[in-house]
Amino acid sequence: MSRSYYESNARARIAGLLDANSFHEWLPAEARVTSPHLATLEQPAAFDDGVVIGQGSIAGKNIFIAAQEGGFMGGAVGEVHGAKIVGVLERAVRDHPAAVLLLLETGGVRLQEANAGLIAVSEVMRAILSARAAGVPVVVVIGGQYGCFGGMGIAARCASAIIMSEEGRLGLSGPEVIETARGVEEYDARDRALVWRTVGGKHRYLIGECDAIVPDSMEAFQQAIMTCIENGDDWSLEALKQEHQLLNERVKRFGTCKDGRDIWRELGWADPISIAMMDNDEFVKAAQGHRTKNN
Amino acid sequence: MPSPAEKIWDRERQRRNRKLERASSALGASLRDKVVNADLAVRLLEAVIAPGDRVCLEGNNQKQADFLAQALTRVDPARVNKLHMLQSVLALPEHLDLYELGIAEQVDFSFSGPQAARLARMVGKGQIRIGAIHTYLELFSRYFVDLTPHVALVAAQSADAQGNLYTGPNTEDTPAIVEATAFKNGIVIAQVNELVDKVPRVDIPGDWVNFVIPSPRPHFIEPLFTRDPAQISEIQVLMAMMAIKGIYAEYGVQRLNHGIGFDTAAIELLLPTYAASLVLKGKICSHWALNPHPAMIPAIEAGFVKSIHCFGSELGMENYIAARPDVFFTGPDGTMRSNRAFSQAAGHYACDLFIGSTLQIDMAGNSSTATLDRISGFGGASNMGADAAGRRHASPAWLRAGEQRRTQQPGIPRGRKLVVQMVETFREHMQPAFVAELDAWKLAEFANMPIPPVMIYGDDVTHILTEEGIANLLLCANAEEREQAIRGVAGYTEMGLGRDLRMVENLRDRGVIRRAEDFGINKRDATRDLLAARSIKDLVRASGGLYQPPVRFRNW
Repeated sequence: MSRSYYESNARARIAGLLDANSFHEWLPAEARVTSPHLATLEQPAAFDDGVVIGQGSIAGKNIFIAAQEGGFMGGAVGEVHGAKIVGVLERAVRDHPAAVLLLLETGGVRLQEANAGLIAVSEVMRAILSARAAGVPVVVVIGGQYGCFGGMGIAARCASAIIMSEEGRLGLSGPEVIETARGVEEYDARDRALVWRTVGGKHRYLIGECDAIVPDSMEAFQQAIMTCIENGDDWSLEALKQEHQLLNERVKRFGTCKDGRDIWRELGWADPISIAMMDNDEFVKAAQGHRTKNN
Repeated sequence: MPSPAEKIWDRERQRRNRKLERASSALGASLRDKVVNADLAVRLLEAVIAPGDRVCLEGNNQKQADFLAQALTRVDPARVNKLHMLQSVLALPEHLDLYELGIAEQVDFSFSGPQAARLARMVGKGQIRIGAIHTYLELFSRYFVDLTPHVALVAAQSADAQGNLYTGPNTEDTPAIVEATAFKNGIVIAQVNELVDKVPRVDIPGDWVNFVIPSPRPHFIEPLFTRDPAQISEIQVLMAMMAIKGIYAEYGVQRLNHGIGFDTAAIELLLPTYAASLVLKGKICSHWALNPHPAMIPAIEAGFVKSIHCFGSELGMENYIAARPDVFFTGPDGTMRSNRAFSQAAGHYACDLFIGSTLQIDMAGNSSTATLDRISGFGGASNMGADAAGRRHASPAWLRAGEQRRTQQPGIPRGRKLVVQMVETFREHMQPAFVAELDAWKLAEFANMPIPPVMIYGDDVTHILTEEGIANLLLCANAEEREQAIRGVAGYTEMGLGRDLRMVENLRDRGVIRRAEDFGINKRDATRDLLAARSIKDLVRASGGLYQPPVRFRNW
């Protein structure tokens, strides 16, 4: 029976992705490093502050890992939570593991922690770039129930590679936030089909924001992670220029599109409606030549 | 004394004929064969409905004669009043508007669903008189005894000009209503979604139907039986494992009915995985009286299911059903025919097990979904969840349950239906499922009911299944043991905490109470990974794209 990544919690994901018994946790729950801000507000705390960090291996390769727990405050980033992720990345700069794996599931900053949370997210972004500069690839995995939104959506795009499942969602402002700020006419957050057409895994793959899309199983994610590590990280100026070029073209090409489907049609999909029901393999095959990046 | 020759024996028929004459003069040349224009619907109703008539307005569990319901609210109350309404389900606001408008005054019904709160308010204000709240089979039966409709207002998919009706898969209550009305001097009016030259199949013969009205919009159908597997909890998976291993396998249950809910959906989704791993395929769950639950798709595809007869249909399942005629009851045209009356009878007499959920269970095992501010009536559970004491034909499951009962209550050999209540000890908002007294008592007092509205009587219940285990009430010797058996699975509710620990341990030793570990179930195995489908999309895939879920259930 294949284990679902989407259905698992942070610890089950780590157990499912890393080599058996290879995981060593840093600041585990028994260390009880909890949020001081939540305590002030008399809010319930989590003994790991909603993120599990540590070291382990995949196919024998030394890996540092951080996994956000969507079940605790939607994976929101507080001061301690953010510091734990930063710590993993800074240690990677020192110790040079084969890669850092970030299993992101978050709505962004933990509002209760306000500025401390915002600063934490910006430190995560800087730390991701430091690790990459030190030659350690940072691979982001998004396939949980809460998606990856807010500042952590930006952090994700700072990484060397993003792996998603079609159930995964990646964005800056979440659907409810857009609806609240701009009105239901602009974006109906309850229209689940629209949400997935604009922030879902398949759409992110087609517009080149995620590098690999996989079916929702631990094995598939594991495989994709190994491929990403083997491919390494292109940190050259040339690659950066190319990325900027793509982003510029994207605005020109899709700037007037109202819906994911308009973009897919523009990308040359004859029957964009059929995309939703395609199996992952079939979709990846059909997407060749119909996404903004080459495979 | 008049001689037989002088006595009049066809007063009712004469009355009907006078109504039909009134209708034909009211409609004049606009009446084409049996077809009446939608804008003349009110005029037709005023012509054929007399004050005090019993009117059956087809409001089913799913399909609604909504256009005719609206038309009935627009008749002149000076001409049409004091009506006695007969309805399976009070679902639409119009169903209750009739009483505020002075058109109707009494109702006999089964289920009130979305109108339950308003109904309670209207009863409190004396605006509506309730004849009785029936189970479906009782209400249908009384259509043929002393509550025969004078006028029936029904809904169908299509009709021809001669009045032949095609109901489509949502046949539901229509045959029972029309048969009772048409053969006892009543008048049948059907709203149809379309008028056709030839109906795909004749569900109701044209000579049983007096008038056909093409409705300006298709009748409303509620997708009541779709449960998104994404919302099934791991507690529900654990309970489903216990149901399969502790009851289905234990008794060899082959013929059954499931209530609707996430608890039973979990069982359905565990058949091709967990039940298959226990080598139970072919040994349990082969024949069903059941609506076409989308959650059944994986079990059907895995070959678990031999047949399913349906009370009604389910939106989105039409193409899948049509493609599986070995399993579903389909017509020569390829589409399903459902029938609530027959499926209820089948569930009552032909099934060995009913399993369903409820809101409250008392210490005698009585259960109810009634709360003080809502008069919701009964769904299918009260017929399905009753031991048909008149049953004769034997089956292994039925015999074994009967045998277990006789260990405590000696008597002549006979069987017993398995009636299982499956509840988490705490419901939503931490409301305890186990209570000292059902809210139904207070409701009965408030609404002046002769008896409290109990959904399933304690003496019909054989098993109570919670996350804490299964209480087998068949093996209880007396009321005291029964109470302790129930308390023994009632978890941390007040009732559960009030258990007699020694007695409960003793009941467990005797196998009256069994816990997950007693069945060899490791609670850590109860994960959502066991579900054969974890999302609506999985169900669509399992159906090979044949299942087309309504928009609200899709994220694509």
